[in-house]
Amino acid sequence: MQRLVLARLLQAGLVVLVVGILCFVLVRALPGDPAMRIAAGRYGPDANITEAAEQVRRELGLDQPLLVQLGTSLGQLARLDLGHSVVTGLPITKELRIQLGATLWLSGSALVLSLLLGPPIGLLAGLRRGGWVDNASLGGAIVLRSLPPFVLGLLLILIFAMLLGLFPPAGYGTWRDLALPALTLALGLAAVSSRVARDAVAAVVRTPYLAFARLKGLPEPVVVRRHVLRNAAIPVVSYLALQAIYLIEGVVVVETLFGIPGIGHALVHAVIARDVPMVQGTALAMGLLFVVIAAAVDLTCHWLDPRPKRI
Amino acid sequence: MNAPVRFQSLTVSGLGISSGDTTIVRDVAFTLAQGRPVTLLGASGSGKSLVAHAIMGSLPAGLVAHGAIKLDDEDLLATSFERTRARWGRTIAILPQEPWLALDPTMRIAGQVGEVHRYLHGRGSAEAQTCMRADLTEVGLGNRTQAYPHELSGGMCQRAAIAVTHAAGACLVIADEPTKGLDAALRDSVVERLRQEVDQGRLLLTITHDIEVAAALGGMIGVMLDGALVEFGPAAEVLERPRHDYARTLIAADPARWAAPALPPPGEAVAAARGLSKRFGERTLFDGLDIAVRRGEIVAIVGPSGCGKTTIGNILLGLVTPDRGEVQRAPDIAQIRFQKLYQDPPAAFAPHQALRQGLGDLLKLHGLPWSQAEASMGRFGLGQELLDRRPNEVSGGELQRFAILRALLLDPVFLFADEATSRLDPVSQKQVFAILVEAVRARGLGLLMVTHEVALAEKLASRILRLPN
Amino acid sequence: MSIADATLVPIARHSWLTPSRAAGLALLGLLALFALLGPLLVSVDPTEQDFAASLTPPGSDYLLGADHYGRSMLARLAYGAQLSFGMALLTVATAALPGILLGLLAAWRGGLLERALELVSAVLLALPGLLLVLILLAFAPGTFGPLYLGLALTLWIEFYRVTRVTAAGVLKQPHVEATRLLGFKTGYILRNLVLPEIRPILITLAAFAMSTAIIAISTLSAISVGLRPPTPELGAMIVELLPYYAEAPLHVLMPGILIFLLVLGLQLATRSDLR
Repeated sequence: MQRLVLARLLQAGLVVLVVGILCFVLVRALPGDPAMRIAAGRYGPDANITEAAEQVRRELGLDQPLLVQLGTSLGQLARLDLGHSVVTGLPITKELRIQLGATLWLSGSALVLSLLLGPPIGLLAGLRRGGWVDNASLGGAIVLRSLPPFVLGLLLILIFAMLLGLFPPAGYGTWRDLALPALTLALGLAAVSSRVARDAVAAVVRTPYLAFARLKGLPEPVVVRRHVLRNAAIPVVSYLALQAIYLIEGVVVVETLFGIPGIGHALVHAVIARDVPMVQGTALAMGLLFVVIAAAVDLTCHWLDPRPKRI
Repeated sequence: MNAPVRFQSLTVSGLGISSGDTTIVRDVAFTLAQGRPVTLLGASGSGKSLVAHAIMGSLPAGLVAHGAIKLDDEDLLATSFERTRARWGRTIAILPQEPWLALDPTMRIAGQVGEVHRYLHGRGSAEAQTCMRADLTEVGLGNRTQAYPHELSGGMCQRAAIAVTHAAGACLVIADEPTKGLDAALRDSVVERLRQEVDQGRLLLTITHDIEVAAALGGMIGVMLDGALVEFGPAAEVLERPRHDYARTLIAADPARWAAPALPPPGEAVAAARGLSKRFGERTLFDGLDIAVRRGEIVAIVGPSGCGKTTIGNILLGLVTPDRGEVQRAPDIAQIRFQKLYQDPPAAFAPHQALRQGLGDLLKLHGLPWSQAEASMGRFGLGQELLDRRPNEVSGGELQRFAILRALLLDPVFLFADEATSRLDPVSQKQVFAILVEAVRARGLGLLMVTHEVALAEKLASRILRLPN
Repeated sequence: MSIADATLVPIARHSWLTPSRAAGLALLGLLALFALLGPLLVSVDPTEQDFAASLTPPGSDYLLGADHYGRSMLARLAYGAQLSFGMALLTVATAALPGILLGLLAAWRGGLLERALELVSAVLLALPGLLLVLILLAFAPGTFGPLYLGLALTLWIEFYRVTRVTAAGVLKQPHVEATRLLGFKTGYILRNLVLPEIRPILITLAAFAMSTAIIAISTLSAISVGLRPPTPELGAMIVELLPYYAEAPLHVLMPGILIFLLVLGLQLATRSDLR
């Protein structure tokens, strides 16, 4: 348990390190005067930029070794001093606070929706392998997994927004705005989790302990409720750690596609605008969100499965 | 405790099991009465487990049983699946093979026994708790109710499974290979437990390939071969005067009944070690141990599982380095003349290769002619058709003999047989050791055998090294 | 309940060419043909504009219609398929080769090398792959360089880890020890015992990596940080055509269908289990 938390804390540290170093290099690799850019990033464009740039130049100093400069910059990160956006001039932390809500709403509702869709279908398919639910969900999963999120999102927009006029094609504010983007992500996630659940259920059904549960006389609904669900949930939940990658990557794409003012949307625009402090802040936030989800998955697994962990 | 409906007898007559047009089991008939348990003996593949599942009504999909199985007056085969399922636990219970795999790994023992009271007998939660505690106390697990299966030993899991059976209240108990994977001491305690079931008035049917278990249970013994019951009678009679050829072979295959091998005096030492010590993590496996294997002798290492028996053999082969101590192998003898046999025969062969491929590569590597391998195959009773199969398509006994053949091609002076027959039926075990003893006698091979079967070691070995736990 | 007797029922060896594999391979073959021969057959420049033909529906002069600049959709789709196939192949080859070799080396030698490689992969895996690629793209948005580098950098890890775990698993087994005792050398063991075990997994993994690369490249182009118009990249084509969805919804969908078919073919061709 402690080891699980420690491992994820370590991962969080690595996220900060990787993002910090890449952005440190990025600032210095872009054409133009790095001091000017750093100054703009640190104090915002309102500040007297040339003077600030001079100060930065003195402070970081071209005479300073790169490693010392890197240390200073990582130190700032550790204090959560993320600087200002070069584009809007607002402090990054303030921008992130606003964007975080949209991202959490989207990813949360997508996750919940996918869990409502995937595992129950997988359970039905796994209990009756080769039945119509199994075959139909297999076909559906193959098709959905062959569709990149942005194409899937586009299809949903074309069908539900353009053709049927049920939901708005883009925007942010009400639950109706969130329906299509959340569904886009949820379908992609459920395509995988339904199959993972199906295989997990099929594997549990074949185990000697399930045969024994039946042979000791328990009625089938009790067997499913008490022995199938918990055991089959273990692989499904632990697979969620991998699905968190799909979720985070999907959030970036879907926010951009549907124009949801979240962190992913901001990241893509910061990349296009080469707003390095913003790239750093948003990438950091998304990376840490990923670690948080993975840690939650770890803890759930730990609670579900009492057996000692290997590793 | 529950007061189950007592039954007087189980009568099986004309039982056959078929898969489509193929008949797998035919004409099985026997009677089991109170105080007279029945034990079915036979090799794997003889159909004895299928008989058990036919009685239970839990044959795998695609297999159909016909004939009659009467529990007192009710024909079990004539009822619907719902009726059959309603009998599970309440009337007939099966003690699973390898009970540590038959208990739900994520649920405490208390839950797995208690749920029988709650959902089978519809008792309230508090009453179910009390009953559960009583059941577990009866099998000696009263203080381990909150344990998960992985926290219990194999024997404890076996007893937990028995507690489940008691909770359900079945009066016909079918024990399917109840001693599979257990070492001698645990085996005896399980047999003792099964005897108690009989004494308490339950009907007991035991499926096993272990003649010792059959002898200890008494009652009636049936011997199965290729899906037919070839011998059935009182235990003492079947064990002493078997009538059918196969029954004779099977019973003669019990190591206790083997003739002791006549070996000439041993030659010089081929592998020896002095003052060996090895730790495994926190645990000291052995300390200051001496061992020597000479040409033409059989040395046995005996001990319970996990005591480091295999490690000693691997040290002599040079596969493992000891923490302390020195190892001497006969000088001027090539490394390839030190060989090993494995516990699980299929694991010693590349799973993707047909046997012909591996054998061919070996002969080519060492410049040996095919004729030599072919001649040995004939002598070891291995048909040429086996060569085109993959390891998992060959029976364990045949594959182990093939492994011996492979090792003997390199003219070994030292062979380490690591539990080489623990996964084989007694007849195959006897065939394997007949070949090995012959190699020791004729070629002066030094054989080091590791086993948990004391009787086997005592029968064969010139010297025995006993390891404590 | 495991029934020992059941193991004697002969196991039917399954044919390698399952219906799904056959369908996948056929689909991939057709798409490869389209990508390779398409540009030759049409012999139309995918950047050649003809405003009179703007948004022509499929059928008439243009087999698959023309886009808003009057460029042949057929030609652009063929080039797009070529581009996707080519870039994905290059990326996956770059990732697979070092991944597999390092995985084998780590499984075989273990020790410091293995620990160093584990650390590197832990660092790279700390962040979802797309985020890493996005940050790299900030160095030079709209170019293939960082896209290629970032994807290869995230994809090699999977090859490394799977190879290492599988090979280490095989090397630990008794049959490897037995083979070594029988006098066989390392080369034989790697070639005859390890390779047959890891080959099917690596083929599946390569197809999976190809899908990932194809999807990532088109996705990044679709959100305007990958390749940019007028390059006939499938994702970029979709964004370019998006404003015209009302007049020509089929045009918007066509590149998407092509991506779908590419990934579908890869999935079907290497599907071993039912996931």
